[in-house]
Amino acid sequence: MTGGGACGLTLWRDPPGEGSWNMAADEGLAQFAEQTGRVLMRLYGWQPATLSLGSFQQAATLGDVPQVAGWPVVRRSSGGGTLVHGTDLTYGLAVPTGHPWGRRAEDLYAAVHSALVEVLRERGLAARLATPVSTQAAEEFFCFNRRSFGDVVIERASDAAGDDKVLGSAQRRLAGVVLQHGSLLLRRHPEMTGAGSHPGIEDLAGDRDVGTAAVIDQWLERLADRLGGGLVENAGSSWKSHAVDLAPRAARYASSAWLNRR
Amino acid sequence: MDHPRRYAKSHEWARLEDDGTVTIGISAYAVEALTDLVFMQLPEVGATVTAGESFGEIESVKAVSDLYAPLSGEVVAANADLPGNLETLGSDPYGAGWVIRIRPDDPAQLESLLDQAAYDALTGSGSH
Repeated sequence: MTGGGACGLTLWRDPPGEGSWNMAADEGLAQFAEQTGRVLMRLYGWQPATLSLGSFQQAATLGDVPQVAGWPVVRRSSGGGTLVHGTDLTYGLAVPTGHPWGRRAEDLYAAVHSALVEVLRERGLAARLATPVSTQAAEEFFCFNRRSFGDVVIERASDAAGDDKVLGSAQRRLAGVVLQHGSLLLRRHPEMTGAGSHPGIEDLAGDRDVGTAAVIDQWLERLADRLGGGLVENAGSSWKSHAVDLAPRAARYASSAWLNRR
Repeated sequence: MDHPRRYAKSHEWARLEDDGTVTIGISAYAVEALTDLVFMQLPEVGATVTAGESFGEIESVKAVSDLYAPLSGEVVAANADLPGNLETLGSDPYGAGWVIRIRPDDPAQLESLLDQAAYDALTGSGSH
């Protein structure tokens, strides 16, 4: 694909799965997007609750964070900091590099995240895109303690003491395709404490019902509109049942060699 | 003499040196698109690289990109100063920002890469 024509957004909504299978499925999704020239997206959860490390994070740093002891861990192929999965909605979005959204990292972040900002603001949440900060933010262990261009944050209502990040994304850029991972935090994880504990959109809505399912649907519809070809849902069919070579890919992501490669 | 740079579609450049080695780096176009680089992993001297396959990784604030070998060969030098001074990739991508130097298995592979005009056409750039 070279011109980024109106191909729309092809979507799979997958049931929660283990970390290694989720990473394997996204890798397969990226390969399929490259082969077909289509923009593909997979939405999924995690069972059991899992931590995902960024591609360049040192596995040894896990020992410095006591609240993550005992949690399953998988290393992503994408960058960024550690994500706490279990009460979030994760997406894998695969965009061929010839697509207009595929060239610059910021363009893809902006396209995906600004659509969510619009929906959240219509629901009364003070959402906005984070403004660029220095690369020192990359030192934080947890992704949601970092702020970088395009993160979706919600300004705190009462004390004007900052904001809470609710959507962070990270990319793996391959020769023919960009895989963007993102985590939309729905609610605070009950088993995570300290620096790894963050409120989700349902917590930040207070007494109001934010309407999570509708927020997600509207976000996806806007994303598809921006792509210009509509939303193509693969209802009743998970990507995992469609993908090939999942088992060997999952075995690699589950291996200690992959986890401890840095 | 200065040999002309050639380019891979994945935005790495390659230049033949007088001693028969080939220097490889990342194009200014690609570096500009990455922005805010934070980490880089290079191969060790003595490693072999294969044309079209990943030989290293680079991370910007939240995007990890593979570096692809424009041609096959053995790594004879890696720019050890680069991971600690990633700004050099942006300030001097075709000089001090070189990434690795290889002894190519087949120097003729250079001819299969894009010349400057073809690469400019690919990227829509005027010049570098």
